[in-house]
Amino acid sequence: MSAPPLRAHGLGRSYDGYIALGSFTLEVPAGELVALIGPNGAGKTTFLNLAAGLLEPTAGRIEIAGEVPGSIEARRALSYLPDTPVFYEDLSVAEHLEYVAALHGAEDPAARIDELIGRLGLDGWEDALGAELSKGMKQKASIALALVRPFEVLLADEPLDGLDPPSRQVLFDLLAETQTAGAAIVVSTHRPDVIAAADRCVAIRDGRLAYDGKPDPAVLEEVFDPSELEGA
Amino acid sequence: MKAMRAARRRRYVARTDVMEVLYRVYLGGLAALFALAFLAGALHEVPADPASVADIGAHAPAIIGIGVALLVYAGLRAGARGGPLAIEAAEVRYTLLAPVSRRTALRPAAVAQLRIATIAGAILGAVVGNFVFRRFPGSGVEWIGSLAAFGALVPIAVLGAALLASGRRLRPPVAAALGLVLVAWSVLDLAAGWNSSPATMLGDLATLPLHHGTEAWLAAVGAALALALLAAGLLGVGGVALEAAQRRAQLVAEMRFSASVQDLRTVILLRRQLASERPRRKPWLRLPGAVRHPLWRRDWQSFLRWPAVRVARVTLIAVGAGALAVAGFSQTPVLFALPGPLLFIAALDLIEPLAQENERPSLRLLLPRPSAGLIRAHLVVPTVATAVVLAIATVAAAAIGGDPGLALGVGAISLIPWALLLAGAAAVSATNDPYEFMLVSPELTQAINFAPIVVAAIGVFLPLFIAWRVEGGDGARVGAALSVAPVALVFALIGVGVLDWRANRREREAM
Repeated sequence: MSAPPLRAHGLGRSYDGYIALGSFTLEVPAGELVALIGPNGAGKTTFLNLAAGLLEPTAGRIEIAGEVPGSIEARRALSYLPDTPVFYEDLSVAEHLEYVAALHGAEDPAARIDELIGRLGLDGWEDALGAELSKGMKQKASIALALVRPFEVLLADEPLDGLDPPSRQVLFDLLAETQTAGAAIVVSTHRPDVIAAADRCVAIRDGRLAYDGKPDPAVLEEVFDPSELEGA
Repeated sequence: MKAMRAARRRRYVARTDVMEVLYRVYLGGLAALFALAFLAGALHEVPADPASVADIGAHAPAIIGIGVALLVYAGLRAGARGGPLAIEAAEVRYTLLAPVSRRTALRPAAVAQLRIATIAGAILGAVVGNFVFRRFPGSGVEWIGSLAAFGALVPIAVLGAALLASGRRLRPPVAAALGLVLVAWSVLDLAAGWNSSPATMLGDLATLPLHHGTEAWLAAVGAALALALLAAGLLGVGGVALEAAQRRAQLVAEMRFSASVQDLRTVILLRRQLASERPRRKPWLRLPGAVRHPLWRRDWQSFLRWPAVRVARVTLIAVGAGALAVAGFSQTPVLFALPGPLLFIAALDLIEPLAQENERPSLRLLLPRPSAGLIRAHLVVPTVATAVVLAIATVAAAAIGGDPGLALGVGAISLIPWALLLAGAAAVSATNDPYEFMLVSPELTQAINFAPIVVAAIGVFLPLFIAWRVEGGDGARVGAALSVAPVALVFALIGVGVLDWRANRREREAM
């Protein structure tokens, strides 16, 4: 039996005694969309950074497709859409997409790049540098960069931030297609529409797992103040 | 990756203004020519006496070795905190998270950094060699060659150590311990007259024309060890921790920007963050409860929470300044230009409480006291602390040099004026807003930014130079130094005036 795309067991990360994430256990099977929710500072981004290999755990373990985050195989399997878009200051949007697709060995990248540029409304911005993009355009380019390459796990941190309603719908469509293709998706969010679209909801509070189950509003309201879920 | 880097390089070249680059090269060349001409004129090109040559041949390798060891220590510490590479955030996000070899991805950046440092080191070494060969036995080719090789190998050793520490993910205490072992080994070499530490062996290379036989071979061993350290560092470069690399990349980018606008205070704060230099949670000593002078008490509390590394750094600066003053008397008075800027760097740490008060206008303006008086009151404790540092420098000069009476005499009469001058200059620098006059005149802004360090250099230079210049015994020299001490006091008074003017102006603007 192959390893699940994402598996964390007893995962923890602390800084000088402050526990950002404590004993966190989670397994996400292929084709599942998980909404990761929690108030600010709960530990959502810490978990995503640990899974991406950008942080190292101080306790427990996490595996991406059965491999340690940061290993070549894990990097091949995981795509990370961070909360803050980052670009090389001297590469255009199209050059970024070509570069990332090439590094990950994407098949027929030109067609995929054209498709993503068209669907995300980046037409006409292909030759723009990162600094020339608006906040929303940066977010769209960042989404395109996360989806232009093959992956088994997609981690997305507040991916709808800065997007207008039509673009949000495009992102939902893209996530649904990704899910259908068999990828495991973890989306960190405060938005009820993302929670409603998810197969499963995982809540973190004060670095600890507070809820893991169906995205049932009744249960969530017991865990959180409603204002914490509707922030976006 | 190669294609992307080539494209970026092409774009960089296309965007570069050739005339601007040529203008900078022209200005740099002109400044270098002036500096060389000044040094050539100031240096005494009289051959050193045999006793001095023998003394330098015996002790210089170990002394230079201690300097190299301290640099390697700094490299190891930087490496343990994610250095020496400052990787772009996008490089981390897209390249280092891609399924490609991180060693292959990072090696070009490491080699580029190494290339610049090595070439700069070799040029600096060759320039020094060009002056040294006129005083010591050995031909110009020998001295220029050996010092150029030494200048190139020092950054190789330092960057190699840093790459090794970051690639092997040495924990900061382990990296620091390794560095300290090397420093201690080199100190032991100096004390025992040995030639055993790898850093001392590099010191042999710097003084190669004075050595024959075994020591010449040891210089080759030192060079080989430095290259081996680099090779080990480059082999492990892919092991860098992304967390530390990202943090460092962000801080370095901010630091470069602050340095580009000569915002010295921000550079210092960012450097402290980069080195994870935080105040101690538990002070070295708790002050007694009675509060007669709350400002002074607050200032002492700041010093009592200094981390050990800052205490060590300021102490080393003091010892270094004392040693430079001694070297100025025995070698060339040009070296008197260095203790001032060096002590100014220490004073920037010592002025911390005043700088913090300045950076919190909302707190300051809520106090029932005029800002100018408050800032002035904050000068007292840093001035006393600066005097302590100067006393350490004086004692070091007395211990290192051959004339303790002169060192103690000049130090004693200059202590108060210098302390006032350095604390005042550091306070002016720390309260400087680099954008205040940017729109009026960028040149004026630059002059204001650099004025404190120039003033510190002149104020410390003058008494030392006069004491060196005057003929006669220690009494005459100390008396001569005393005659120019008022210059430092005048500079200090001007500094206080600037602080008053700034504080009043900012208070008025806030009302």
